[in-house]
Amino acid sequence: MDHTALAREMRGLREQVTGITDTALAAADGLLIAADTADTIDPEGLAALAAAGLGLARRTAQATARGALHRTVAYGSHGCAAFYAVGDTALMVVLGDEGMDVERLHRATQPALRRIDLILTDRTETTVKTAEGV
Amino acid sequence: MSGYQLLARDLAACGRDGFTGELRVLGSPGGVFHLHGGLVVAVESPGAPAPEALLLRSGRIGGEEWAGLVRESGGARWPAAGLIAHGYAGAAQLRVVCAMALQDAVFAVVAGSVDGCERGPATGAPPAPVVVGEPPTRLLQVASRKLGALLEQPYPVRPDRERPVPASLSYAAGRLGVLQRDLLAHADGRCTSRDLAFRTGRGVYTVTVEVARMLGEGLLECVEAPRPIPVRLPPDGHGIRPREPAPPRQPPVAVPEATALPRRRPGASGINEALTTERNGTGWKEFFRLRNPTAK
Repeated sequence: MDHTALAREMRGLREQVTGITDTALAAADGLLIAADTADTIDPEGLAALAAAGLGLARRTAQATARGALHRTVAYGSHGCAAFYAVGDTALMVVLGDEGMDVERLHRATQPALRRIDLILTDRTETTVKTAEGV
Repeated sequence: MSGYQLLARDLAACGRDGFTGELRVLGSPGGVFHLHGGLVVAVESPGAPAPEALLLRSGRIGGEEWAGLVRESGGARWPAAGLIAHGYAGAAQLRVVCAMALQDAVFAVVAGSVDGCERGPATGAPPAPVVVGEPPTRLLQVASRKLGALLEQPYPVRPDRERPVPASLSYAAGRLGVLQRDLLAHADGRCTSRDLAFRTGRGVYTVTVEVARMLGEGLLECVEAPRPIPVRLPPDGHGIRPREPAPPRQPPVAVPEATALPRRRPGASGINEALTTERNGTGWKEFFRLRNPTAK
């Protein structure tokens, strides 16, 4: 896995969307992979919470026939926490302050999630297209 | 044409046309100008704290109390009447907060990059509007003057660029102002001036100017490279595994009708098995022996 590319994606997202304060990546089971978080945040605890929250949301979407889960967002008076699935292997947490444009965040995360998934699974766009027969 | 010129042209046109609606500014941080009759009544931008953030972050009102006021006002984004009625702020104070936030948001838009502007209809009541709208051209001129003054500082700073940390000089410094102490407490090398404005509940222009001064005075410093992000893999050496698929859905269990009485099934009590079992030599004989202990 290209650690530098992974770190660059996480930092790039923070630079790209105004208001992002912290980002973290975790395996689907909640084990932390990487964290670009302030010292005031426990990244291991955040990763575990994200896995549990996303799992619960996925089950809720399934039980209520809402289709595939896209994301979950927890809003507070000082900002929000967004949780995204990264392919089938991992998840990403993005924390933002109350100024962050959440719609803009969702738009910006889609290409980043794709690239992070490729990095985590040691694939490239070319290998994916070949496997898909494109 | 520069981004600023683009914005100035489109805003001036809105003023001339007496436009009512929204002018969406694309860029970073970008924002939305709310206009009524060609005058700007509110500006929202991710680059500057809104009046709500100024009140909440400064501790004037707590998050739970704010949520209560929003409920009380029927879901209004800016529950001004409730804030006044419950004594959180006076009417004049709220007017000042709204006017300051509007000016600050225009500064944030102007200090960033502008890629384009789009006019659109109003999507609802503007959040925290000022009582008397501002002419758009004058707003832009004020913001432009502020940016010019900022860039003339000995250590020019952009609201979204520098991420300072306290310098060693700051630990020995005496007679620090409240804002300076706040900024030193929150500057961790991850926050820009814009982020610090949100953290401290102050205007982004005020904070950016103070950060520029503190950098000039040696109270803050900018580190060359950001802290590296450590990457770790699961300790079992198998790499990152895909998540387990959800368990298959169980077929629904038929629930008996609540009104129907339970139906008796033959043999459900198990009495026949108990009486016909011949294990240990028991059976009907044992049954009668129990009923009539004198019988042999």
